[in-house]
Amino acid sequence: MSAPQNSAPTLADRWRGLVQRWLNRRSPPSRSVTLDHSRLFILPTRAGMGFLLVVLLLWLLGTNYENNLVFALTFLLVSLFAVLPVHTFANLSGLRLQLLEARPAFAGDYAEAQIHVSRSGRRAREWIAVGWPSEEASYLDLYERDSAETCVALPVVRRGRVRPPRLRVESRFPLGLFRCWSRIDLDIEFLVYPRPVSAGPLPLGAAPTEGESGQAIRGGDDFAGLKLYRPGDSLRHLAWKQYAAGRDLYSREYESRADARLWLDWDLLAGRDVETRLGNLCHWALQAEREQTAYGLRIPGTRMEPALGPEHQQRVLTALALFPVQEAR
Amino acid sequence: MTQPAERLPRESLLWIFAAQFAALLPQFAQLPLWIVFAWAFAVYWRLEVFRGRRDLPGRAVKLLAVALAVGGLALSYRRWFALEPMVALLAVSFTLKNLELVSRRDAFLSLLLAYFVAATLFVYEQTIPYALYGIVCVVIITAALAAQLGNFSARPRRALGLSLKLLAQAVPLMLLLFIVMPRLGPLWAVPQNSASASTGVSDSMTPGDFTRLSQSDQPALRISFDGPVPPPEQRYWRGLVYSDFDGRRWSQGYGVDPREGGAVHWKGREQLLPEVGPRYRYRVIQEATNNPWLFAMARPISDTRGVGETEDERIVRRGPVYSRFAYEVRSWPRETLGEIHALGDFERRRNLQLPGGGNPRTRAWAEELRRAGFGAEEISRRLLAFYNRSFTYTLKPPALGADSVDEFLFGSQQGFCEHFAGSYVFAMRAAGIPARVVAGYQGGEWVAKEEYLLVRQYDAHAWAEIWIAGRGWQRVDPTAAVAPERIRDGLQSAAADEFMQDSLLPLHRMAFLNRLRLEWDMINYRWYQTVISFDSDKQQNLLQRILGEVSPLRLATFIAVPMAAALLGILLWLWFSGRGETLPATSRLYRKFCRRMARAGMARRSGEAPRDFARRVRAEKPELAPMVERITAAFEKAAYFDDPAAEKQLRRLLRLPMIKM
Repeated sequence: MSAPQNSAPTLADRWRGLVQRWLNRRSPPSRSVTLDHSRLFILPTRAGMGFLLVVLLLWLLGTNYENNLVFALTFLLVSLFAVLPVHTFANLSGLRLQLLEARPAFAGDYAEAQIHVSRSGRRAREWIAVGWPSEEASYLDLYERDSAETCVALPVVRRGRVRPPRLRVESRFPLGLFRCWSRIDLDIEFLVYPRPVSAGPLPLGAAPTEGESGQAIRGGDDFAGLKLYRPGDSLRHLAWKQYAAGRDLYSREYESRADARLWLDWDLLAGRDVETRLGNLCHWALQAEREQTAYGLRIPGTRMEPALGPEHQQRVLTALALFPVQEAR
Repeated sequence: MTQPAERLPRESLLWIFAAQFAALLPQFAQLPLWIVFAWAFAVYWRLEVFRGRRDLPGRAVKLLAVALAVGGLALSYRRWFALEPMVALLAVSFTLKNLELVSRRDAFLSLLLAYFVAATLFVYEQTIPYALYGIVCVVIITAALAAQLGNFSARPRRALGLSLKLLAQAVPLMLLLFIVMPRLGPLWAVPQNSASASTGVSDSMTPGDFTRLSQSDQPALRISFDGPVPPPEQRYWRGLVYSDFDGRRWSQGYGVDPREGGAVHWKGREQLLPEVGPRYRYRVIQEATNNPWLFAMARPISDTRGVGETEDERIVRRGPVYSRFAYEVRSWPRETLGEIHALGDFERRRNLQLPGGGNPRTRAWAEELRRAGFGAEEISRRLLAFYNRSFTYTLKPPALGADSVDEFLFGSQQGFCEHFAGSYVFAMRAAGIPARVVAGYQGGEWVAKEEYLLVRQYDAHAWAEIWIAGRGWQRVDPTAAVAPERIRDGLQSAAADEFMQDSLLPLHRMAFLNRLRLEWDMINYRWYQTVISFDSDKQQNLLQRILGEVSPLRLATFIAVPMAAALLGILLWLWFSGRGETLPATSRLYRKFCRRMARAGMARRSGEAPRDFARRVRAEKPELAPMVERITAAFEKAAYFDDPAAEKQLRRLLRLPMIKM
């Protein structure tokens, strides 16, 4: 996602850019990443610093009381502290993360990526956090299994193709005194549909006709007459009035002279701005799919024949998502 | 990245409480009872909160709790700058922290505090059981830390296992640090453990004191000799000199104790050392007495820091002995010393002092001897002969009235060392001979083939010293006149029937148990010698022994080599444990086959079942098919039916060339 930069980059921005470039060189984007020493960083946590403070206090206690057992305890804790980073590192090292699927999402919602995490070797891995730095991480263990799937979510605001920032994989195992982490780019790209904006009922038959104009199409709005009921006719079209009057069961026949099919048309929404139009169209598409009414899409540059079904919906939504961004006038 | 729900899970809470309990348990004995109850109540409350039956205390309640705690501490402890109130303060902060144990951060804080509380235990006690308990504490606290992370780590076995594993890996580095880290010595004066009552020989002697000590088999001193060892009848460990008698109680008299301004030579004697070398060199390890006086043979000089010599030939420490204390002593026997100064006027009066009245019979008897014109030695000889004639040495002497010396000498004639020493000095003083009571220990028991002498509380003894013109102070032990076996073989043989009669189990009568106890004492002694008293001197010596010479380079090597080895080990471990699972033999053989097929241009596709692969081979390279099918069949039989014969066959088939010509 490239945000238009209005002002000159600040020092912090430059620094961030520098870090990004460095990370990109060190750990290039890939759908599958194996964590190793070149990608992992490790530092004590705040609790770790507290632990060191306690060690210092213990050393003072031992020194002032000339107490060798306190010394022994102090040195034991120091050594423990020295051993820990190895375990924290080993908990992440060799871990393989693989992007399974970056699910499309609607703007204003959470986009989710399905990630497969697997280990090599017998060593158990515990308490691994995967997530975006700004979001709540999801935690997983590879304790009695070799691999696991996890879902990480990121709120998305703008439609289009969105490249999220690098994922953070972190672990504080075993004692929480060290934090080992990696920033990895799993080459995730979310397709973000416009945020659905309600625009009233579906514009059935509202679209101006084009092409096969004037052709009578069965199933329209205009009453064309009665015909004898045949099994399979819509119950909605039964001529109850006539039936109640003691006549046979008739079906009312309708036909439409205009294009009676449902077209989600750009031009229906004239006067609104682009993003709202896209949101309205998105809302209609979802509604039509819900009501199982075949719908087509007409937006500048794209025309899709009316149809139904998940694939069609996805095609329509993708077209809406990728509609060129209009510069605000 | 934000943490998930900050609420502490149940396991995590229980672990924290377990760690706190482990750290506090040994302190419960000396903490005021209200702290123990407050802690238990806080834990109960927090668990109720977890169950949802109660809310966490509000701000007002917390403030009230803090105020109550501070008030309680102020009431319980008068002195703030001491060890006990500090430990109590830690315990109280535990308790208060429990009331707001909400986030993971609180949990960490509480556990770090627990490490510290566990360490304060060692300031009180450094014995092996306590050291072992300290290890248990650290294991539990570390396990509690581990349990704060993850669902699996909170399982008791997993958490303890993890904790043990991590700590075990830390031990080598700890040992290295323990040996090489410099000991700086106290940076500032710290409060000492001063609450417990003094034990052992006290600064005054009333009838019954020593009988009470004779009931205790607690160790008092452990003495190891460097060079000659004194014979049993010379093993008098002088601790105190009583010059003042008030009719019932013998005491040091005002102004003798260094705390009351008594003169002490702190920096070794500036006077000329005798030309002859010391007769005995020894090292005394003294148990805590909470008193400043130390124990040594006559004429001692000590080079140990903080130890000084007094005028009456004793050694004392600058501060009370609050925990086990070791000191080096050299002792000169009297006869090797040159000129004897005459007894000063003040000293003479002090050592002739008697109460204004009382004990008329003894006084009259002594007066008579003096009138007869006998010298000091003759009077002493007669008195001892008197003891020897008709007195009994017993641990259960009858009670004495107001004129205790009279009643003892001419009435009951049954007594313990304090009766003999007291009456002897009284009589000598009445006869005009300067005399004083000396208290300390006499004897000792060899442990581990004369490695060291173990002196127990029941070896406590009182004897006398008299001034003989031209020869100075001479030791006289009236008890030896009555019960020489007490001096030679110790109390147990001198009063076999009465010895330790009141103890619940007559353990001392079981030779086997006795030996066991001595073994245990020896382990304790070595523990103290190697670990507890490891100071900068011993450190220097040890490093010298290991390295030959303590140079920076060698020291650096000494530290770096094990570190490098450890690093290498860790890397190897990482590499091995990160490698894939070792495949069963059959799978390895099949893989070998697949590699060979790949070389022949028939790579097996990933995920392709062996049978499908064989079918594909038949279709694409029929000339290989017969062999491939045989191998596949053998593999399937070996892998799926665990048929060892099939495995052997597979092995054999793989040795053959792929195509038979």
